[in-house]
Amino acid sequence: MNDSARAQPFYRHVASGGKVEMGEWMPDDYRQAVRRFIEMHANSELMGVLPEREWILRAPTLKRKLALTAKVQDEVGHAQLLYRVAEDLGKPREAMLADLLAGKTKFHNVFHYPTRTWADVGVIAWLVDAAAIVAQQALRESSYAPYARTMKKICWEESVHIMHGRDVVLTLVNGTSKQREMVQEALDRWWGPLMQMHGPPTHPAKDRDLAWRIKNKDNDTLRQEFLSTYVPRIREIGLHLPDPELRQDPDTGRWHYTEPDWKELYSVVTGHGPRSRERLEFRRLNYEETRWVRETILSEPKVAA
Amino acid sequence: MSAPAPASATATAAAGALDEATRRALADLLLAMADDEFVIGFWDSEWTGIAPLLEEDVAFSSLAQDEIGHAQALYQLLAELDGGDPDGIAFGRGPQEYRHARLLDHPRTDWAFSIARRFLYDTADAARLDQLAASSYAPLAGLVAKMRREETYHLLHSAAWVERLALGGHEPRRRLEEALERLWPDALCVLAPLEGSERLVEAGVLAEPPHGAEQRWLGSLAPLMERLELPFPFRRAGQRLEPTITRPASPRGEHSASFEWLWGEFTSVQRSDPEASW
Amino acid sequence: MEIYEVFRQEREGAPMQHSGNLLAPDPELASHYAREFYGRRQESVRLWIVPRAAIRDLDDPDLLQPPLDRSFKKPVGYSADIKRKLAAARTRLQEQP
Repeated sequence: MNDSARAQPFYRHVASGGKVEMGEWMPDDYRQAVRRFIEMHANSELMGVLPEREWILRAPTLKRKLALTAKVQDEVGHAQLLYRVAEDLGKPREAMLADLLAGKTKFHNVFHYPTRTWADVGVIAWLVDAAAIVAQQALRESSYAPYARTMKKICWEESVHIMHGRDVVLTLVNGTSKQREMVQEALDRWWGPLMQMHGPPTHPAKDRDLAWRIKNKDNDTLRQEFLSTYVPRIREIGLHLPDPELRQDPDTGRWHYTEPDWKELYSVVTGHGPRSRERLEFRRLNYEETRWVRETILSEPKVAA
Repeated sequence: MSAPAPASATATAAAGALDEATRRALADLLLAMADDEFVIGFWDSEWTGIAPLLEEDVAFSSLAQDEIGHAQALYQLLAELDGGDPDGIAFGRGPQEYRHARLLDHPRTDWAFSIARRFLYDTADAARLDQLAASSYAPLAGLVAKMRREETYHLLHSAAWVERLALGGHEPRRRLEEALERLWPDALCVLAPLEGSERLVEAGVLAEPPHGAEQRWLGSLAPLMERLELPFPFRRAGQRLEPTITRPASPRGEHSASFEWLWGEFTSVQRSDPEASW
Repeated sequence: MEIYEVFRQEREGAPMQHSGNLLAPDPELASHYAREFYGRRQESVRLWIVPRAAIRDLDDPDLLQPPLDRSFKKPVGYSADIKRKLAAARTRLQEQP
């Protein structure tokens, strides 16, 4: 049976919920699509480290220092897990890192923005991670089984981050008026990128990732889920959301909001965000500075005379 | 050795059983140890997210978290002895009031430097913990027992990397040798005697005088350094190893500009709103 | 660098379960990293770290899911018959004087 003859049963298999393992035959299209999807996810975990790690040194208590270090460590771990899965689909990790640093591949919008205060740390850990986990929970059913299994581990680990973030935000809202202002201001800045994070509504018929069940929920559904869970939790602690149009239809349960700026999203993910260049440059420099270590590891160990 | 003593009642009883001079000396020791772990934990945590290899990034970050955890436990013991709370002690002093060894004043620099510094610190700290394993001050003995179990992993990691760099070729060896040469004088500061060391030996809090610990430490390193032909600025004088380098005059003071920068970072949020809790 | 597969045991007596894989230059570092990725949260009591090259993969359906009847090897092959014959034996006993 030649490839095109095998492709049709394969697509029927994945479209109806069937799973694919590493090493099994798959059409090139599917292999490319799933590898790209995972690669962008891995890139996002790796770049997501940068806005937060600045605050590891500045964490104001021992417990926060431990929690934030552990959180960033987890993100690095997730990057490692995801690059491994993508690598098993045929692209070496070094090539993926090179493409990321050259600006050829993308990472999620939120990691292109600056962090300005300790409150940003709380808002990111709570709400950005929450938005991510809404998407990640759906990915536990991905047709590509190694990715699905990795997502289960990642979701389990992320749940702690959200609790840490919520704890930081709650501490701030229950604190001094300066602290409350700080967290409201951070929320005002992050709401726009958060609303853009799941991406514009896509047409299911045109979305191959959906058709092949690499992902199982469309962008709009994910955003609605995020809003349903988190808008009440944000409002119940006295924080305001900066969108005057944001409201839930009492009959349908559907959230209405000011249409996010999709042009901004496109501009940001193609490398024109406020911190895009700086962060890629930082990573590039760091990767160069540490090149000698990787070369050492890869060389044969020499026996002492 | 008895099981680790729980906090509060037993600790307060133990603290109450000490005379003033011993208590002062013990407080100084705890502060020195806690500050050592705190500062090295900070420098090493900087590698989180930017280590040379993703797998090593995760491993190294765990080491840094362990150190901060040890610092937290030591500050807790100090608070039980002297009053205050761990965060207050950790974050509430001016930069020259910290009592960490000068070995920890250096920034993380490059990977070879961080590995060399960890190696020197971990091995010296192991010798220090040996002195405390049977301490008459039960809360400290209990904590040390736990810390030593975690430190086993640290020692394995440091030693494996020193070996890997020493034998890995021209570039890694050069960097490692330069790092060791810069660090050796300050490494002697970890086990340098504190003012109250004699008092602590008399009280059974410390098992042996500090110079004993230093000799054990150097004696344990000598074979490895010789085998790998790494800088080891000591010569034999009978049974002892004597440094051929000058000991720094102020082992735990006169902290560097790098540390002052670090202090600025880690106290920045606290200082922005001193009344707030975080 | 070689790929190592990691199996973990969640608690005493539990089966070893495949959990993921990692890259390492030698078995010693592979163990360190396995501990980091699958044990740093005290979530495992044991780990097996195995080079991927040492694992033999078998997924041949002819061997694992052979088509001819195998019910004589499974409970389902007996349960219906037993039910029927038990009913017959009980009935026979009831009909005896």
